[in-house]
Amino acid sequence: MSTPALELTGLKKSFGKAEIIRGIDLSIGKAERHAIIGPNGAGKSTLFNLITARFAPTAGTVKLHGENLAGLEPFQINRKGLSRSFQITNIFPAMTVFENVRCALLWAQGYKYSFWHLVNSKRDLTEGAEAILDQINLLERRNLPAGTLSYAEQRALEIGITIAGGADVIMLDEPTAGMSNTETDYITDLILKVTAGKTLIMVEHDMSVVFGLADRISVLVYGEIIATGAPADVRADARVQEAYLGAALEAEH
Amino acid sequence: MTVSDPKHDVPEGAREQDQITTDPAKASERMRAGSMTLTLAPWVIATVVLVFLPMFFTNNSALTIMNQMSITIVFALAYNMLLGQGGMLSFGHAVYAGVGGFACMHIMNMSDFFETIPLVILPVFGGLFGMGLAMIVGSFSTRSAGTVFAMISLGVGELIAACSVIIVAFFGGEEGISGDRTYAQPFFGVEFLQQIEVYYLTIAWLVISAALMYLWSRTPVGRMANAVRDNPERAQFLGYSARWVRYYSFIASGFFAGVAGGLFAINYEILTEENLNTASSGVILLVTFLGGVGFFFGPIIGAIAFTLLQTVLSLSTELWAFYAGTLFVATVMFFPGGLAGLIMMHVPAFKLGKASGLVMPYIKTLLPAAIGLLGLAALVEMTFHFRHAATGDVEMTLFWTTFNSHEILPWIIAGAVTVIGLGIAKTTAPALKEAWNEANTAGGAS
Repeated sequence: MSTPALELTGLKKSFGKAEIIRGIDLSIGKAERHAIIGPNGAGKSTLFNLITARFAPTAGTVKLHGENLAGLEPFQINRKGLSRSFQITNIFPAMTVFENVRCALLWAQGYKYSFWHLVNSKRDLTEGAEAILDQINLLERRNLPAGTLSYAEQRALEIGITIAGGADVIMLDEPTAGMSNTETDYITDLILKVTAGKTLIMVEHDMSVVFGLADRISVLVYGEIIATGAPADVRADARVQEAYLGAALEAEH
Repeated sequence: MTVSDPKHDVPEGAREQDQITTDPAKASERMRAGSMTLTLAPWVIATVVLVFLPMFFTNNSALTIMNQMSITIVFALAYNMLLGQGGMLSFGHAVYAGVGGFACMHIMNMSDFFETIPLVILPVFGGLFGMGLAMIVGSFSTRSAGTVFAMISLGVGELIAACSVIIVAFFGGEEGISGDRTYAQPFFGVEFLQQIEVYYLTIAWLVISAALMYLWSRTPVGRMANAVRDNPERAQFLGYSARWVRYYSFIASGFFAGVAGGLFAINYEILTEENLNTASSGVILLVTFLGGVGFFFGPIIGAIAFTLLQTVLSLSTELWAFYAGTLFVATVMFFPGGLAGLIMMHVPAFKLGKASGLVMPYIKTLLPAAIGLLGLAALVEMTFHFRHAATGDVEMTLFWTTFNSHEILPWIIAGAVTVIGLGIAKTTAPALKEAWNEANTAGGAS
């Protein structure tokens, strides 16, 4: 078996006495679309923050393509090809939409901390950013300050920023939170389109999105994964039904 | 500026439609080409104005003021690399200019070396020393922005200012360090004996430094400085270390602050503790904020306005710092965008072709307001004279009028001017507000 894109072993996180993540083992294969679901307060966002080194884990390891990420800073992890979005929209609101995406391209295109290139005269940057804008359908919003976009557009922009750097592992934290049905469909299509061929790990509440997108689903309850598997298996799992899914599925129908 | 561009008169929605139908790739091409000529024009104009300015202001004191202005502009632009572009509030930035300046003074005094270099390159050494110090201090101060950075900058500023009386060999104690710029190798025969020669040296450095700092803001690291300022966490998740981005901005800012210090050394041929202390650091913060941190040219306007206040106003009143302080407080409270923000506020009205509708309302409100404020200033001056003039000295001159500050009539006049002026401004203000809204709304009669 090839190395998994992301592998978590015995991952734990406590805040003081409160154990939020209580030992997670999870392996996500290359080009897999993996959804993490669970009730509120189960620790989904905390898990994301542990993987991306926003928080340091109390115990356990995170491996990206077989490489241990322990002790690395978020920017170093990003450079290794793992990129994420946030539950609360996290963009550069004062900058233009175009510039938001361009900032996300700089490191990936090798500009690093350069002060001898002028960004405006770099064709690859302009065209690369415009290609991303085209993908997320924000080309006509190009020169507006990102903060003035509608909520759904800001979410789309955040996805654009997240994928712009060409990372092969994409983590999306509730990409459709707070959206109307049409907006949700729009974002779902967008996610399908932009993450083709990449590993996708997403936290999501909307079950139609989860079952529409995911190859595999993990159910997180009280800091533990109680089931992992294909959507149909997870749906059939008795413990999952009891803990969480039943109520959510009933609400769907 | 063209006032009536028919294209801008179309309603908002229609314009968006228009944008959608244009080929975006070509639009961006056009924009890039357009912005090139647009950004170049102010530079050319500013340079031409600087070159010809001494023909209109020929006396030495005017040249001194203009030199001081140029030095302050370089320093304020360097400061704004931190404050405006990097979001780092420094309370001790004078030390980088100061140390750069002191280094230049020492080079001036190393006669064997100094006579081998032309004076024009001396500011480079100032820059390198400012940069060197910034590399040391920045290595620990730029770990975080915000309060931690501000406090470290204040602490380091105080520390180095205190060193001026401890490390006498470098800072010269209370007398400071002085030298003579004319010992340098003549530059194409120019020995910089005259003020006008120094002026051209200073503005050459001003234009070069300003252009380099502007270009810096267009580089990857310059763009990321903005990104880190707005949202350091997101920048981290884009592969950039917020700390290193801040560190590079800090070093660059230290370099140009050092250049300003070198120019100071050339102009005044003396540096003292005053160039390092917190007061100087405070002044540059004030200058930058007054001009506006949100725009590249903000600090330039701030430096011009402040230098004029400092030099011209201080000739006519001892209380100039009081007025400068009042202006600063008013700026922070009412116009956080500074003078540049005030100017740029008018761009939408110009684009809509409606700026002309603002002229009369402005006159109706701002003229009485200005008269009222002058009345208020008169009251302040009279109070100051009343309280602080030597006993028996009752004569004072204000606005070319000499009168007795211990009589009641001048007080009544000044009070009446204040009340009437501000009163009229208050009654016409709603009309101005209405005109402002009208000028910033698309559509309707223009």
